[in-house]
Amino acid sequence: MNNSLLQVRDLSKAFGNVVTAKNLNFSLARGVLTSIIGPNGAGKSTLINILTGFIPPDSGEIIFQGKDITREPIDRRVRLGLCRSFQVANVFGHLSLFENIAIPVLAVERKAKSFLRSVAKDGEVRKEVDKILDRVGLLSQSHVPASALSHGDRRLLEVGIALAARPRLLFLDEPTAGMNPVERTRILQNIRDLSAHGEVTFVIVEHDMDVVFSLSERVIVLYRGHVIGDGTPEQVKGNPQVREVYLGEEVT
Amino acid sequence: MKSNWKYIIVALMLLVLIGIGYFSSRFVLYLAMKIMILSIFAMGYNILFGRTGLLSFGHAAFYATGAYGVALCSMHVHTHPLVGIMVGIAAAAFLALIIGFFCVRHTEIYFAMLTLAFGMMVFSLMWNLRDITGGDDGLSGIMRGSVSLGFLKISITKDSQFYFLVLFFFALSMLLVHRIYQSPFGLVLAGIRENHVRTEFAGLGVKRYRLAAFVVSGAFAGLAGALGLLLESNVTPFAAHWSHSANPVLVSLMGGLQTFSGPIVGSIVFVLLREFIERFTHNWMLWFGVILLAIILGFRGGIVGSTTQLVKRLSKVS
Repeated sequence: MNNSLLQVRDLSKAFGNVVTAKNLNFSLARGVLTSIIGPNGAGKSTLINILTGFIPPDSGEIIFQGKDITREPIDRRVRLGLCRSFQVANVFGHLSLFENIAIPVLAVERKAKSFLRSVAKDGEVRKEVDKILDRVGLLSQSHVPASALSHGDRRLLEVGIALAARPRLLFLDEPTAGMNPVERTRILQNIRDLSAHGEVTFVIVEHDMDVVFSLSERVIVLYRGHVIGDGTPEQVKGNPQVREVYLGEEVT
Repeated sequence: MKSNWKYIIVALMLLVLIGIGYFSSRFVLYLAMKIMILSIFAMGYNILFGRTGLLSFGHAAFYATGAYGVALCSMHVHTHPLVGIMVGIAAAAFLALIIGFFCVRHTEIYFAMLTLAFGMMVFSLMWNLRDITGGDDGLSGIMRGSVSLGFLKISITKDSQFYFLVLFFFALSMLLVHRIYQSPFGLVLAGIRENHVRTEFAGLGVKRYRLAAFVVSGAFAGLAGALGLLLESNVTPFAAHWSHSANPVLVSLMGGLQTFSGPIVGSIVFVLLREFIERFTHNWMLWFGVILLAIILGFRGGIVGSTTQLVKRLSKVS
């Protein structure tokens, strides 16, 4: 139990008659790269939205590092170490890449409130920002505005912003959607490295089964708000219920 | 190179302003003071509008609070202008904190309408509390006491003396706003304008930063109102009227929302245009409207924004 980072207890959410989460119970262990999969409308995005504070659940509890965060606002969850990236690149369009990364860095270093010091002259912040830009391969474009980036680069930046918040647990919503093979390799390599380091525990929502099965140590299958499969990729592949509702359609 | 140019321009501007203070007629002094006071109002306002992306229609309330603050302070407490100005700023900031607390829960049109509603409430309070504010007559005949700093006593009774106090606060405001724009706080505000969801997911409480921007801009409005009162020596409730709230909006739009110097350039154009047009016609609003239309349609990013882009393009060609 010591190794558990996030626990979900009896989590439910319904939009009118549409049940997107029904008595969900699971826990995520530190350092175990987990994927959440499921057919369209299975409740994957809603689950992430609830866990990160975007939507309140109807009932249930979310425990993060032993602390009940069910009612905590988004920004406090992020400061506690729970962050996410978005399906659609969600960046600061008119700000430079440096500034894009600097905002979460300032938040982490608790410098965001200072209003008389210069950001550009803060060596510590610059070093940290450059480190992250280098990690996602965008260091050379640090002065370019984010709106001028290609779609794939914007996705890389998006992941960079999420990493800059120094999360313990990071949800990536379709991290490789719309990327070219080079960018995809880079981002997957980053995820593997960081995960192996043990700094960040990743939870990935993906449609691409190659990514899911090559990367994950654990796969959770959602279907209509229920968990219908949970285990190693092999176990999930072998699960008859999963094959029936989901894998049978896409993976042969 | 680029930043050197900026310092040269600022130094030149300050030199010109000092020159005006020593050598100009009273009329030019008066116009220059009006421009500087409007600049302080608009620069502070633009922290909220251009930087944070929140359009407020209620900032005249804070301007008026600053003005009434000085007037009441010098009538009942102390005539020291610096004490009065501090009281004015503090009162405006405090009012901004209360009003902002409710307004920052919303954005865009809802935010704008809320600020408008609060602004009108402040206006009618000032109109109706006759015993304190003098009702529709306002407060008039406020004298400028001397600025006494220990041994030193500086008289500001004459406009040519008061001018340098205005210039001092104008320069101080420029410095402060510039520092805010370079600071982490300023960057966070820009982040909120660009993408408030992402800012929240960067671990920052967006509402609190919006409120902080609201209070800071309210404090600058209070400073402008305080100086405006000392300049005119009277204030009426119309200082809080919503039509007065439009001034910093127009000024920021004309000069350039996303620029530091936009509100200053906008203020110069605004005050001079008005002065110029009013000599020929009483319907200055009509002609001003036409000119404003031309500036907004013709200069994308305001006068400063479009000029900078032009200079960049030209320097690339050559």
